[in-house]
Amino acid sequence: MLDRTVAPEIKEVEEVKFVSPKIEQINENVPFFWINDVANATARLDFYFDAGTIRSKSLVASITAGMLFSGSNEKDSTTFHNLLDDAGAYQDVSVTHEYAVVSFYGLNEQMIHIFRIFEEAMNFVIFPQSEFDEIINERKQKLQVSLEKVGVLAQRAFQKSLFDQTDYGRFANLDDFDNLLRSEIVDFFEQYYKKGLAKIVLVGDIHQRDVDYILNQSKKWGMYEVPQFKKDFTNSPGRIHVEKKGALQTAIRIGKVLFNKAHEDYISFTILNTILGDYFGSRLMKNIREDKGYTYGIGSFVSELQHTGYFIIATEVGSEFTEKTIDEIRKEIEILQTELIEKEELDLVRSYLLGQILKSADGPYATMDLFIGVQNHNMDLEFYNRYIQKVRTIQPDELREIARKYLGWDTMNIITAG
Amino acid sequence: MIHFDRFELNNGLKVIFHKDPSTPMAVVNLLYDVGARDESEEQTGFAHLFEHLMFGGSINIPEFDTELQKAGGDNNAFTSNDITNYYETLPANNLDTALWLESDRMLSLALTEKSLEVQRQVVIEEFKQRYLNQPYGDDWLLLRPLAYKKHPYKWATIGKEISHIENAKMEDVKSFFQRFYNPSNAILCVAGNFELEFVKKRVNHWFGAIPSGKKPPRILPLEPEQSEFRELEVERNVPANAFYYAFKMSERKNEKYYVTDVLSDAIGREKSGRLSIKLKKEKQLVSEITAYITGSLDHGLFVITGKLNEGVKFEEFDDALWNCLEDVKKTEIDDNELDRLKLKIRTAREFQEQGLLNRAMNLCFFEMLGDANGVNEEHLIYQSITPRALRSVALEILQKENCSLLKIKSIKDA
Repeated sequence: MLDRTVAPEIKEVEEVKFVSPKIEQINENVPFFWINDVANATARLDFYFDAGTIRSKSLVASITAGMLFSGSNEKDSTTFHNLLDDAGAYQDVSVTHEYAVVSFYGLNEQMIHIFRIFEEAMNFVIFPQSEFDEIINERKQKLQVSLEKVGVLAQRAFQKSLFDQTDYGRFANLDDFDNLLRSEIVDFFEQYYKKGLAKIVLVGDIHQRDVDYILNQSKKWGMYEVPQFKKDFTNSPGRIHVEKKGALQTAIRIGKVLFNKAHEDYISFTILNTILGDYFGSRLMKNIREDKGYTYGIGSFVSELQHTGYFIIATEVGSEFTEKTIDEIRKEIEILQTELIEKEELDLVRSYLLGQILKSADGPYATMDLFIGVQNHNMDLEFYNRYIQKVRTIQPDELREIARKYLGWDTMNIITAG
Repeated sequence: MIHFDRFELNNGLKVIFHKDPSTPMAVVNLLYDVGARDESEEQTGFAHLFEHLMFGGSINIPEFDTELQKAGGDNNAFTSNDITNYYETLPANNLDTALWLESDRMLSLALTEKSLEVQRQVVIEEFKQRYLNQPYGDDWLLLRPLAYKKHPYKWATIGKEISHIENAKMEDVKSFFQRFYNPSNAILCVAGNFELEFVKKRVNHWFGAIPSGKKPPRILPLEPEQSEFRELEVERNVPANAFYYAFKMSERKNEKYYVTDVLSDAIGREKSGRLSIKLKKEKQLVSEITAYITGSLDHGLFVITGKLNEGVKFEEFDDALWNCLEDVKKTEIDDNELDRLKLKIRTAREFQEQGLLNRAMNLCFFEMLGDANGVNEEHLIYQSITPRALRSVALEILQKENCSLLKIKSIKDA
């Protein structure tokens, strides 16, 4: 008779293989990373430019990124997009504080054609006035819609409170759209795209000849100098409320300026963060969703920047539960600071994290993302072996110590919007 | 090409095994052939509420997630108007843990008052977060009952109204489970680096003794053919006027489904679709416009949606849109444009098949449609589509009397 009350024996993750991509230098500041061992016909080509939002006044970086295919003297924007469609390509630009990443997804045999379209757009884009007007109109309306969302309002206020008075604390407001000039886009493009290529990342089984062509033709966009990013941030704790009339839910953001992978306590902190709020069985999820039903979801994260990072707890709760939720978050943090984690929970978190790291190294795309995750901070894949080692060995008293050191309630920025 | 093997247990559970020697992970995907369309009109939102309760512990296992996390895995689920789908991803050598968990909750749920009470509350917060507390969040709650008069697609998976969730009773929940959650109403897929014999043995071990149950008959109210233009205008505190033109289209199994899908790409692509070129770029009437299909199993919807530029009247846009649609019906798309659409479809398919979980999910979905191998045949259907077929579908569905129009008017404009 099958005894269903007994769990099947659990086997530990023994080994995770981390595979390094091929590495080449395009010039001394611009590396190229390539994984060509891909089992199917897909390929992804990413261009990282030193063209994040910190490099100019608000809107400039995101509007420039949105206009890369806006047309040349020879071809208008529709023609460029039809050419990309002809090559079966999907194109995407993401702009963060520190980078703009232009990504192309396509079949490996098409990648060289896709690159040629990008090359032509980069070399000859003229940012036509009509396209500029169109994107301003479109983005302004999108921002109006976003500003109706409590989650967006809280997130903006949170980042502002963390990074106020720095290039990292700047946000687009509606009237910024009226003050932006087309010439600012042209100048930004010249400086941060034409001379701002920071790295190229390729996943896909592409012919070496085509890769050589891509690297050769991209060389002229390479950065001459290593870009500088702000190093020192001061945390200024406090509580801020953003009023949104008629909202049924309140968005809550709690966190602080912290650190990134380069910090010695980073790994221990991420393990602590997992226990607190970074998986479905976390203490915050168990308490605030699964026990009390205040929210559809709650989580905590560490977000990394070039020279720092920040810690954030994020949720949206029924407005009547706002204060109760903040109290419960505070209680959960205090428990981490005063009580030692039980062996059973710690064992669970160890197994869970090892399973997750195995998953995050599975397949060429995941492997590349994992690699870029450390390469961004000038580290290598050895980081993940240290991470695994720490997950296996960290003890309850160290976790409590880390909680005391970094999660002091009076160091937190607490934002509510609703 | 996705290779697979297929077998069936004595209790009627259909099983698909997909071998992938390249991965250290395994996926277990379990599809139940039940969705919001199987609910009664007085108790909507049940299929989805039930999905939440499936994580509240089963007859022999108090905590579903805990056991899976101990094995290094994670999981999730979704409910649509047609199906409910559960999945686990975990290191392959712990496959048994996922099978143990899924089989136990198929056997019987713990279903406590506490978990029902909490999940009711969680779902109410989900209702607020996704549908009520977002600009335009209630659009589909309005559009569905406009487009469907009889068929249960007239309510959303979250439910028609919050009170249906608030009033959910334990006995209703239990009978829902008994009716729909049994082997003969489910399709399981195991994917990973295993051998077929091993998978047969493990699946039989955990699922073999679960009583078969009866596959519940599905008799849904038929949606009468639409023969009049419908229109609903509501006012909301939103920044811009928004429009939703919903046209009835074929069911999923009809080959016209694929043609309609390509038609939506042809006219609705964000940067280079015909609607965007005509109405956004040339006439500057809208800030955004797209077209897509709902992908429903029964008769679905072909939707054209977007937002008007400030100062543009609904009527002005409406005329321009119908003119544009008349052009689509009049002239065949040229072969070059069709070829580029097909190539994009191929690219998208290759990327989708990159993921083990996607492969497992698709195999179950196509098996439910009738044959898992459909996943490998779909692209042939797409490649065989002609300009003529596109025009013929356009002529058939892009008719005023086949259209339901929802207008969300910005109060600032009123």
